[in-house]
Amino acid sequence: MTDQSALQGQTAVVGAAVRLTGEGPLDGAPEGAADDVSFVPAGPPIQQRRTRRFRSTRWVMLGFIAPALVVYLLMVIVPSLQSLQLSFTNWDGISPDYDYVGVANYDEILTSGRFWNAVKNTLILGLGSAVIINAISLGVALMLDHVGRWQGLFRTAVYLPSLVSAFILATIWKYLLNYNFGAVNVFLRDIGLPDWARDWLGDSSIVVWVILFITCFTLGGNTTLIYLANLQSVPQDLVEAARIDGANSRQVFRHVTWPMLAGAVTVNMTLAMIAGWTIFDQVMVLTSGGPGFVSETMAFFIYKVGFGEYRAGFGSAAAIVLFLVVIVSTVAANAYMRKREIQA
Amino acid sequence: MSTETQLLVTPEPTRRRRPRRRKRLTVGQVVVMVVLAVLVLIIASPVLYALLNSFRSYGEITVDPMGLPTTFTLDNYVQLFQETDYGEALVNTLIITLSTVVLLIAIVPMAAYGIERVGGRTSRFVYILFIAGLMIPFQVRMIPLVKGFDEVGLYSTLTSVILVHLGGAASFGILLYCSFLKGIPIEVEEAASIDGAGRLRTFWSIVFPMLLPVTSAFVIIQALGLWNDFFIPLVFLDSSSAGTINVAINRMVGLLTSQWQLIYTGAILAIVPSVAIFAAFQRYFIKGMSVGAVKG
Repeated sequence: MTDQSALQGQTAVVGAAVRLTGEGPLDGAPEGAADDVSFVPAGPPIQQRRTRRFRSTRWVMLGFIAPALVVYLLMVIVPSLQSLQLSFTNWDGISPDYDYVGVANYDEILTSGRFWNAVKNTLILGLGSAVIINAISLGVALMLDHVGRWQGLFRTAVYLPSLVSAFILATIWKYLLNYNFGAVNVFLRDIGLPDWARDWLGDSSIVVWVILFITCFTLGGNTTLIYLANLQSVPQDLVEAARIDGANSRQVFRHVTWPMLAGAVTVNMTLAMIAGWTIFDQVMVLTSGGPGFVSETMAFFIYKVGFGEYRAGFGSAAAIVLFLVVIVSTVAANAYMRKREIQA
Repeated sequence: MSTETQLLVTPEPTRRRRPRRRKRLTVGQVVVMVVLAVLVLIIASPVLYALLNSFRSYGEITVDPMGLPTTFTLDNYVQLFQETDYGEALVNTLIITLSTVVLLIAIVPMAAYGIERVGGRTSRFVYILFIAGLMIPFQVRMIPLVKGFDEVGLYSTLTSVILVHLGGAASFGILLYCSFLKGIPIEVEEAASIDGAGRLRTFWSIVFPMLLPVTSAFVIIQALGLWNDFFIPLVFLDSSSAGTINVAINRMVGLLTSQWQLIYTGAILAIVPSVAIFAAFQRYFIKGMSVGAVKG
């Protein structure tokens, strides 16, 4: 459930971006053209006329698109552009008017230690959890693939924990990690390690790593399923051929299975990364960015600055920076991993 | 938890029909099973801990945090509904989840169908416009949306949350439906049209039923995501509303500092519907996850 496993719908939504660089539904020849060629010339005249009538309803079809398009424009595109506009202002989020301040907000962001700390945390939490969760998920998928009997049961059992939202899990952990009465510290004291008990969420030297641990403390349910589906689509004759040639299990994995999984790795890593850039729930629940500003992430920074500190213009500028980071890293990561896929 | 687990152990879609010979389990397979079971237990332990403690009082929890419930009592569950806004929040979450899913199904498949069947430059542009939304994090549009909803008097209403969700989910829906629609032959629709059906009727009675597999996957993913969402309701619902369950729990964490048992209870209740959705649609779920995920 972490954010990573499609973190639930939100993630899943973002996830599909992976395929941006791949072939989209409308790539290649325009739909209509192809259909005309194959269908119309072959038919008798009467059918031709009807087909034309069928096609003449183009405006009706545009009407089909309209409701979704209007909602999408009003809820996504227009506000995003407004955000760009606000990022050049000193708007406080409340008063009716504001002044344009040029690139002052961006200037301040790029020289702000607090912002760079948030970037660092986002990298640790986003990239770190992406790598760890993918590694665990791949291991679990490999095990599921070898489990033999009761595979369905085990698959369900592995998926179940990821139904719990990042928010709920973080909330439970917040109490588990309570200094006085939390189960973790009490357990440590009970087994005779009282020195290990500490204020897990109040100690600025470890707090980010504690959040990373909690973020990873789940199986990436969707990630595992995607790996499993890909594992099971590896042609068995390839595996057998390698075995006949004398390859051991490790070699089969390295030279047959792993290259076949390259596509799945690209998809899962990109999904996890996009989710990681916007990691928020865990920080909000566990530490509210504290102690001080130590554990802030970029998403939390935008929220805090925009609503908590009444600097909507500044927050918008930070949001635009986040947007650029997401675009650049997604495209770059995809390009890199696709290249690796081909070589493999 | 045990009853839920039993519910989920329904036959898998991939299970072979013919009774298969029972092969002996190898040592390796047993080891793998044990490792997986231990792993699942570890991962599930926080939730199990919350479940156990939802049956204990605050005194019991703080005196002996590692203890087990001594008596089975639903006092906490009753108290949660009587003394907090949880019930109202539950209704709000239900309204948001259901309305958003219904509205998405009403507008997104139709739009994808329009995009696919119109073809040409216009629809390619519209398609790319939709897909671009996948790369726009919610944080980017958050501040102007709050401003906009405030101006039209919709701030802190469920309507605002539903509309924001609709916009966010549209991109993914268009991507999903467009790629699926490619595989549906146009001839069937033309036959329907020759038989006198209008465009709208052709879509809802001919095309939409064929989209069922992708619709079920879409509905499940969205329903779970909506139910579990925290950020959007946190931003758009202020204290004039009871919020969604996650927002309500978050407020309780701040207000009821000595009511841990209620937090645990609320957390467990928030998970139950997700598990129910999963149990009900398990087959579609795993299939839907795998559809399109396999390369080539």
